[in-house]
Amino acid sequence: MSEKTSWDWETELKEIPFNEWKTHFNWVQAPQVSQNGESIAAVVNLDEMVFSVCVNGQVWEEEYEKIWSLTSVSDSGFAAFVARDEEWTLSVNGQEWTHWCDFIWQMMKSLDGQFLGAAFQTDSEYGVIVNDTPWEDRYENLTGAVMAADGTSAAVVQVVPMPGADVEAFKKGVFSVACNGVPEDRRFLNIWDISFDTAGRQMGYGVRTDRESYGIVQNDTLWKNRFESVWKPEFLDENSLLAPVRINGKWQLYKNDAPFWQNKYDQLWHLTLSPDGKDVAAIVSAPYGRWRVAVNDTVWHVAWDTMISDIYFSQDGSSLAAVYKHKDVWDLAVNQTPWQMAADMVFVPCLSQDGSVVAVVIQKKGQYQLVVNKKTMASGFSFMADPVISADGSKVLLKGIENGIYKRRIIRV
Amino acid sequence: MNSFIAFIMGPMVWISVIIFLGGLTFKLVGILGAVRQKEPYIYSYMTLKHSLRSIGAWMIPFFPRSARMSPIYYGISYLFHILLFLVPLFLASHIVLINEAFQISWPALNDSVADGLTAGVIAALIFFVVRRFRVPEVNYLTSAMDYILILVVLLPFLTGFLAYHQWVAYQWITVIHILSGELMLIIIPFSRFSHMLNAPLTRAYMGSEFGQVRQAKDW
Amino acid sequence: MKTKENPMTDTPSSVEKPTDPAIESGLERLTPDRIQQVIQDVLKKETGPRFKAYVETCMHCGLCAEACPYFLSNDRDPQFMPAAKVKNTIWEMLKKNGNVSKDFLRRAVRISHLECNVCKRCSMYCPFGIDIAYMMLLVRRICHKLEITPQYIQDTVNSHSVTLNQMWVKDDEWIDTLQWQEEDARDEFEDLEIPLDKMGADIMYSVIAPEPKFQAGLIYQAATMMHAAGINWTMPSTPGWDNSNMAMYTGDNEISGRIARAFFETAAKLRVKRIVMGECGHAFRSVYDMGNRWNSWVMPPFEVVHALAFYHELLTEGRITIKEKYKKKVTLHDPCNVSRGRGLHDKAREVVNMVCEDFVDMVPNREHNYCCGAGGGVINCGPPYKGERMVNNRVKAEQLAATGAEVLIAPCHNCHSGLEDIVHHYDLKMEIKFLGDLIYETMDKKIYTPGA
Ligand code: HEM
Ligand code: HEM
Ligand code: SF4
Ligand code: SF4
Ligand code: SF4
Repeated sequence: MSEKTSWDWETELKEIPFNEWKTHFNWVQAPQVSQNGESIAAVVNLDEMVFSVCVNGQVWEEEYEKIWSLTSVSDSGFAAFVARDEEWTLSVNGQEWTHWCDFIWQMMKSLDGQFLGAAFQTDSEYGVIVNDTPWEDRYENLTGAVMAADGTSAAVVQVVPMPGADVEAFKKGVFSVACNGVPEDRRFLNIWDISFDTAGRQMGYGVRTDRESYGIVQNDTLWKNRFESVWKPEFLDENSLLAPVRINGKWQLYKNDAPFWQNKYDQLWHLTLSPDGKDVAAIVSAPYGRWRVAVNDTVWHVAWDTMISDIYFSQDGSSLAAVYKHKDVWDLAVNQTPWQMAADMVFVPCLSQDGSVVAVVIQKKGQYQLVVNKKTMASGFSFMADPVISADGSKVLLKGIENGIYKRRIIRV
Repeated sequence: MNSFIAFIMGPMVWISVIIFLGGLTFKLVGILGAVRQKEPYIYSYMTLKHSLRSIGAWMIPFFPRSARMSPIYYGISYLFHILLFLVPLFLASHIVLINEAFQISWPALNDSVADGLTAGVIAALIFFVVRRFRVPEVNYLTSAMDYILILVVLLPFLTGFLAYHQWVAYQWITVIHILSGELMLIIIPFSRFSHMLNAPLTRAYMGSEFGQVRQAKDW
Repeated sequence: MKTKENPMTDTPSSVEKPTDPAIESGLERLTPDRIQQVIQDVLKKETGPRFKAYVETCMHCGLCAEACPYFLSNDRDPQFMPAAKVKNTIWEMLKKNGNVSKDFLRRAVRISHLECNVCKRCSMYCPFGIDIAYMMLLVRRICHKLEITPQYIQDTVNSHSVTLNQMWVKDDEWIDTLQWQEEDARDEFEDLEIPLDKMGADIMYSVIAPEPKFQAGLIYQAATMMHAAGINWTMPSTPGWDNSNMAMYTGDNEISGRIARAFFETAAKLRVKRIVMGECGHAFRSVYDMGNRWNSWVMPPFEVVHALAFYHELLTEGRITIKEKYKKKVTLHDPCNVSRGRGLHDKAREVVNMVCEDFVDMVPNREHNYCCGAGGGVINCGPPYKGERMVNNRVKAEQLAATGAEVLIAPCHNCHSGLEDIVHHYDLKMEIKFLGDLIYETMDKKIYTPGA
């Protein structure tokens, strides 16, 4: 977050005409905005099967047959998967990687933008590539690739060939986890949801050991307990792994193979740890069909009937925001208080360091609005990217398109 | 003998009625409690509107397609169920007994009409038996218990009928009548006759699942 | 009492029974203890008052017989009557407290997986509304735990568990297919896009895995319609795009729930408002009715709009206009999972009448339709069972033939494949189409502009 301080928080308004691009190109795809809001980019079509990326009106030098997954990376840049002569690679700000492959997908980026990764396939062999360095070992099949903050990558890989519809072979377990391309010894029927600890050294994931037994692997060691099902585990610290597990039809939170939370829920998922590691939150359902946020095994007193899609802690752990849907409309609740926005959609909220300011983009009747601490700060936009709050919490960066013009606005709270 | 008759016409009636009503109530409470405990989701899908809609639709004679496809059985069974309640409740000799005990009474069926209706019930039960033998798919499902259950219903009606006509061993027949009537009442909550209670519940649940969730009809 | 046919040895007549390697090797591994323990566990832990009420309420009246296409197609062979399927499986397990033989189980696998489409038609014919399909799924659940599920459908569940789609479609193959369809569709609309992972789109479009695998043209058609109708839509590039769910049909509720979770969370991550799905029945059931429940979502957290309802919306709102109505005589198959499963049959008829000139209904119809015979996972048990599937749905063939239609509209993938087999087997000389095929063929290929 340190780099946020170097951004321009003073200029109140910067504008870039966006809709006018449509007159220069055959067509312009959905825009992406850089993190610092200084640039807006889109994939544009120049001719039949000729695409490029336009950033603030400037087109990347190279042209491609196909481009997809345009994403903002680091403060002001963009990356995308690009194809030429039926070969794919990743291009960062117009700079192609040297390795080309038959297909590339699943863009992964580290928070600081230091590492970029993706899954790739060449000659029907699969691997992961990070910062232009592909895994040495390739596999028949690969799913669920992840990358840690330090660029360590892992994925579930098939290590034993399996003929079509061979349920006996499947039963023996043909999947393993490969970390930086190197497979672990142990095989399972299924492996899901690899989690790294913050340092990127330890791994935890969910497995199925036979048709109806599920387990958790923590640093190569399979927990002794078996469960009816498991969801994504998360590291509390390097020595403790938390995981929601299902026992007798109810969900409970386990830590290092033993009960951690005492309550049992009809659902328990989206484990979310406060950045200081003090609090553990999760989305739970109790009773059936009533959705709540649980923090350290205590549920919020408010419950919703449809869904809680995601929850977010502020950096200091003092505030927790939940995006939820109740009675057909979306809303945001911060520390148990619903904002009552009755929105058609609520995007990802941004919480200030100390949790006192929460900003979020919502959609209502097809228009985008920016709402900060329950107050609508801007509306009537045709598009908005998620807002950013300055390090001191005094300003909110709005990034959106109004009347065809991209606007970078600084709003004082 | 007289004290035995006094017992079965007095306390035993009480006992059987209490077991019948108490048993059904106990069962209902048990079901509702068990649903709450083991399958609480069921309540999430039940709506009064769709429950009543479905129960109502199935009460209208020959309204469900299923009823129209098996009109004879359905029609007979429909009448059977009405008479099953109607005849004993509006029987002059029953009302007399109740009047003696509680000094309450209500209009009774004319005796010969009641007699005819009783014959109808007996005929229906015989039809059920014949059907169980004759219709292959019903026969396939039938077990001894199904016949026993029919017998349990048949006995009070048959003995009541015989008692009324006083053809043979009147006193003995009456004793058997009373005992079998009480037996039937007692058995209802503990046998598949508890469908009396379950029918509206299962129907209401299916009606709600169809009406509320699937937005379709279930008849 | 006369003794009944022995359910263990007495298997339905007329067609040869294939042996299924997965069932056989599964049975071989089983011990009597294990069998008993699994059955007891499921009955004790996973059933409650609902099951109990069904068991003790059934009066053995046989009214449900008339409902079942298997019964009707097999010359009213009592073994195919709904209640008989329960009698020969779960009642027996209950009565024997789980102490049943391997031969019994072999038969139970077949009854529950191959002789019932879990179409729920019988619940509309049973005066008590007893849910036979639920009990057949319970038997499948037991088979799943005993690991004696038929091979081909088990393989699809394995695929679901690994890839979250039904057909082992790899992540790159999926995206590549979408891009290829997008490219092809640009022949018709130069600027057509299949927007991948577009945050905040109004609609997420989702399909079942057989589309990218075998029928990519359907994605092309859908993209054309979306584009022409001016819809702000997207398709996910990540697992969670497949709305199908075979695990729900093998009783692997855990995998079934996992699939449904991925599906809805994909929509949540993309911040879309509604989910529109292609013409598939069982997939609709998965996301509208079953998969959501396992996850504790009473109803789906996003509105899921089946293609039938979506076409209705596009046509009535004038977003798509029909240039010239389809001329041939058509009839419509009501897929159980969206008619009996969601009451879309009337909308379907309205759409057909908007698109076609000459529509003739088949009888019975709407909620009372006969299943195609392929549904409920039956067709997914694979080619070995095709022969009996044909015999088991003769009524459908008779019903189709009676319409005299040239074209049969089957707005469900399973139905489509199942009916294809039926039409071929009974030599009905009918063309089978999706409703989308007809709309694509007859629509005005111009882009909708609001107010125009
Ligand atoms: C519970 C105790 C019961 C008692 C004390 C009782 C008593 C009697 C008596 C005294 C008669 C008159 C016989 C006659 O006319 O001489 C009678 C007739 C009859 N009872 Fe009951 N009854 C009982 C239960 C039942 C039940 C449960 C049913 C049927 C569900 C039933 C059905 C009949 C019928 C159908 C007749 C007369 C039939 C006819 O008129 O042909 N009774 N009962
Ligand atoms: C008011 C509550 C009741 C309802 C709603 C009800 C409903 C039904 C239904 C739906 C059936 C299935 C066959 C058909 O459609 O006719 C049935 C069958 C039957 N019911 Fe009832 N019933 C009730 C009370 C009773 C009682 C109290 C008895 C006897 C004590 C009884 C005896 C029977 C018998 C014997 C059959 C089976 C006929 C056969 O063998 O096919 N019912 N009932
Ligand atoms: S669910 Fe359908 S196929 Fe299964 S028994 Fe009932 S009517 Fe027959
Ligand atoms: S119709 Fe219902 S009560 Fe009658 S035999 Fe079938 S399942 Fe049992
Ligand atoms: S395949 Fe079609 S007809 Fe058959 S069960 Fe599914 S929806 Fe019903």
